[in-house]
Amino acid sequence: MSKQYKTGLSDRGTWEKLAQKDCGAVPLSSLDRKTPEGVLLKALYTTRDLEGLDFLDSLPGFPPYTRGPRASMYTVKPWTIRQYAGFSTAEESNRFYRENLAAGQKGLSVAFDLATHRGYDSDHPRVVGDVGKAGVAIDSVEDMKILFDQIPLDTMSVSMTMNGAVIPILAAFIVAGEEQGVRLEQLSGTIQNDILKEYMVRNTYIYPPIPSMRIVGDIIAYTAEKMPRFNSISISGYHIQEAGGNSAIELAFTLADGIEYVRAALKRGLAVDSFAPRLSFFFAIGMNFYMEIAKLRAARTLWYKLMQEFQPQDPRSSILRTHCQTSGYTLTEQDPYNNIIRTTIEAMASVFGGTQSLHTNSFDEAVSLPTNFSARLARNTQLIIQEETDICHVVDPFGGSYFMESLTKDLIDRAAQIIKDLDAAGGMISAIQQGLPKLMIEEAAATKQARIDSKQDVIVGVNKYRTDEVSSFDVLDIDNTAVRESQIARLLRVKAERKAEAVARDLKALEEGARGGSNLLELAVACMRSRATVGEVSDALRRVFGEHKAPIQSISNIYAAASQDSKDFNEAKAAVAAFSEREGRQPRILVAKLGQDGHDRGAKVIATGFADLGYDVDIGALFQTPEEAVKQAVENDVHVIGISSQAAAHKTLVPQLLQLLEKEGASDIAVVVGGIIPQKDYDFLLRAGASAIFGPGTPVPKAALETLQSIERKRRP
Amino acid sequence: MSSDSRVSSLAEGILKGSRRSLGKALTLIESRLPNDRVAALALLETIYPRRKTSQRIGISGPPGVGKSTFIEALGLHFLEQGRRLAVLAIDPSSPLSSGSILGDKTRMELLANHDSCFIRPSPAGLSLGGVARRTHEAILVCEAAGYDAIIVETVGVGQSEHLIAKMVDIFMLLALPHAGDQLQGLKRGILELVDLVVINKADGLFLTAARQAVVDHKAALHWQRHNSERLAAEVHLCSALEKTGIESIYRALNERSQATYEQGLWEARRKSQDQLWYKSEIHEQLMERLASNPGFRKLLQEMQAQIDASELPPPVAADRIMNQLIRKITI
Repeated sequence: MSKQYKTGLSDRGTWEKLAQKDCGAVPLSSLDRKTPEGVLLKALYTTRDLEGLDFLDSLPGFPPYTRGPRASMYTVKPWTIRQYAGFSTAEESNRFYRENLAAGQKGLSVAFDLATHRGYDSDHPRVVGDVGKAGVAIDSVEDMKILFDQIPLDTMSVSMTMNGAVIPILAAFIVAGEEQGVRLEQLSGTIQNDILKEYMVRNTYIYPPIPSMRIVGDIIAYTAEKMPRFNSISISGYHIQEAGGNSAIELAFTLADGIEYVRAALKRGLAVDSFAPRLSFFFAIGMNFYMEIAKLRAARTLWYKLMQEFQPQDPRSSILRTHCQTSGYTLTEQDPYNNIIRTTIEAMASVFGGTQSLHTNSFDEAVSLPTNFSARLARNTQLIIQEETDICHVVDPFGGSYFMESLTKDLIDRAAQIIKDLDAAGGMISAIQQGLPKLMIEEAAATKQARIDSKQDVIVGVNKYRTDEVSSFDVLDIDNTAVRESQIARLLRVKAERKAEAVARDLKALEEGARGGSNLLELAVACMRSRATVGEVSDALRRVFGEHKAPIQSISNIYAAASQDSKDFNEAKAAVAAFSEREGRQPRILVAKLGQDGHDRGAKVIATGFADLGYDVDIGALFQTPEEAVKQAVENDVHVIGISSQAAAHKTLVPQLLQLLEKEGASDIAVVVGGIIPQKDYDFLLRAGASAIFGPGTPVPKAALETLQSIERKRRP
Repeated sequence: MSSDSRVSSLAEGILKGSRRSLGKALTLIESRLPNDRVAALALLETIYPRRKTSQRIGISGPPGVGKSTFIEALGLHFLEQGRRLAVLAIDPSSPLSSGSILGDKTRMELLANHDSCFIRPSPAGLSLGGVARRTHEAILVCEAAGYDAIIVETVGVGQSEHLIAKMVDIFMLLALPHAGDQLQGLKRGILELVDLVVINKADGLFLTAARQAVVDHKAALHWQRHNSERLAAEVHLCSALEKTGIESIYRALNERSQATYEQGLWEARRKSQDQLWYKSEIHEQLMERLASNPGFRKLLQEMQAQIDASELPPPVAADRIMNQLIRKITI
């Protein structure tokens, strides 16, 4: 009977003829799409596409783990719902954590503020706008103890996103546990500790790559010996995708980073099986539904294969376990409730891909930190998938799909090729020092932005199906000044009550250790016990290691090339040309990032896009103070300063900048602000003197035109 | 504001050391508007007698040689001595968009944030020569603003070295280790201009190669003509990244300046530079003015047509135009 249904396998042409009828005049071949990864997506897959796939007959829980790291997957125990959160003071964050745990969340994931990330205490002059903003401010063990007050660290798994100031923060966590009466071996959770990607994206590093890799090694060694339930590192692709990298780039760079960490640990004499089982991963899941499922399957398969080089005996050493987070980049400020739907689709892709834990974004995260309400919706998205649907009842439901298995293979091949190219460039660290990965990511980001601006890629409510209806909802606002003052008060108290000689002794030992070869985490634990601060510990290491200065490279003509001569692009270009004709020079903009916020994708995309439209673009150094930005703007005599803000410091830093401009007699320099700015701050910023504000999703040509208008308005008030 | 009062208030600001005025004056100088040019010349005339004597240093080298990092390291020595430093950097523009990305200051953070330092990157626009010509004027304005050390930085692409060398007291060429191949590519004419060759990135794996590069460059510089008007060129080694060799370069610069000053070479060089500048401005301005004259443009086109029709050899056509011009001049 079944035989008569086999119509077209040997004769795909039959299907093609039939499908061509549906296409009308359009050739069937136009249904094949090239993804940003360079993979050709065909309209139809058949058994033919399964030929030669070596992982096809594998089982979940068995090499190469394409179908899942565990045999039973979610049928026995679903993934861990782990929401990333932290803001303001330790007290506030602690209250928020306890509410969420009571409402069904299973693990904690701590977000630290940027001052902490970069190893500055809250009283440091460079961090005035950053304290408590994009995460919780932690200055000493006292803050850490408050953060986990009434949260038992012997049972609660805690994930900490920390890379720059990883030594004092992990040490403070250990001491906070110790003072709760929890032994080291009981602590469970994850420290991100993935410094390599910081040099490519995100930029929350402190020290240069070589000493930073030593720190990574010290943490791997310490945890391997003393903290068997703790993941020593979370090798992260998340930020690479957020910065604009496609799935193949994200996958390849992340696994290549992972291999560097393995090599670093082996070089210190650790046995591969003593640490490799505690390496964990972290990926972003965006809107390319199939691609993201394939990415997690490909990641496990490829990691297994790569790890065989080190001949692990313990099977866990080559199993890739991962946390996932839905993409922040795909969230839009316009028509924001659409974000709930986007997050749901992304959450499902993470689950079909087989993640071990998941953070779902809140719909308001394009503009601010989540409120209790938006956080509940985000958590419930996961609870509904876990408990209302039948999604968890079957292991790897996409297994055996002609398309999914083939796509998994394509992605493995793509990523393997990039990893090979990186090896040829001397390995990941050398490639990073040359700035190659960063350039690749920035190129991908500029291309992506141009595709959206020219409507080749659709975003509902942004470049298609726009609505005039304004969605109003409450957003969480942090009184940054109050947080800073309370942190400074506590710092003063801690410093008054501690034994100064003990602190000096322990910090000196740490500094000596940094010059020599002692384990820095071990020495930092002693420092934190005697109540040294995060800033003091970081400074001790700074004295030995110095600070990393990122070489800023820039790309040009990428945005223009991907714009394909769109109408908006050409109009903006003509307006710039007309301006420069009248003005006797090109419009000149300083693109500045203020404070400790290192997310520079937006700034880089604007820089390259504006330059392609004919602007002269000055790039400010990362982590500038308002004073430094004003000095640069005045010397370069720019028409306008464009401030890119992703981390909520705009309310402090933009008014400061405007006042300084006035003081310098330069209030004719216009100021525009772009990035993650809540609608309700628009008025505040405009009243303070900003000329225009560009929210997420503003097309580059539109921003360029409105910036020109802002300049003109300053001329003729 | 009238043009006159704009110029006098700018001049006043510059002389008082206002950063804002200096920034605006440099914009005025670089402006492509004819009215701005008139104002710029008036400004130059006003500030000209009020300038401070400065040490003018030109730095050039291929892309990727580490010019900005080197200037950051070297510049700090000037500042530590209590001197005031201006850095004028010429950056390429995109021929496709006319726009540019100017990132030099991110590699000169310590200088950029220092009170006694002023850095101005200038996009080259479509003509590198055009902006370099303005750089010479910019130097004068910086001197009026009280800067006693001025570094002009440009990417080495052949043409710019000649322009920069003609406006500085000391012209430095930055080179990489493994410079043998580069030497082949260097036009002999450029080595003629050089006062100091600095091999950068003499660190880590490249140290041996860098030492070899010193030998190679010294050999190559033997071709430089020996004459009484200048000191022989020197070759130095440094690592801008590791900050080694920088202090001795700073000392060499000062010793060289001191020696040329004492021997009268400094003054002679400045004089001959001014003469060259004068001649080249006459040439440039003549062409610019004529090009904007409708009658002359018509004449040009007529002759061009005769050349195109192979009726006249080009030199004869040019000679005819000149004859007509000279007849008009009644000095």
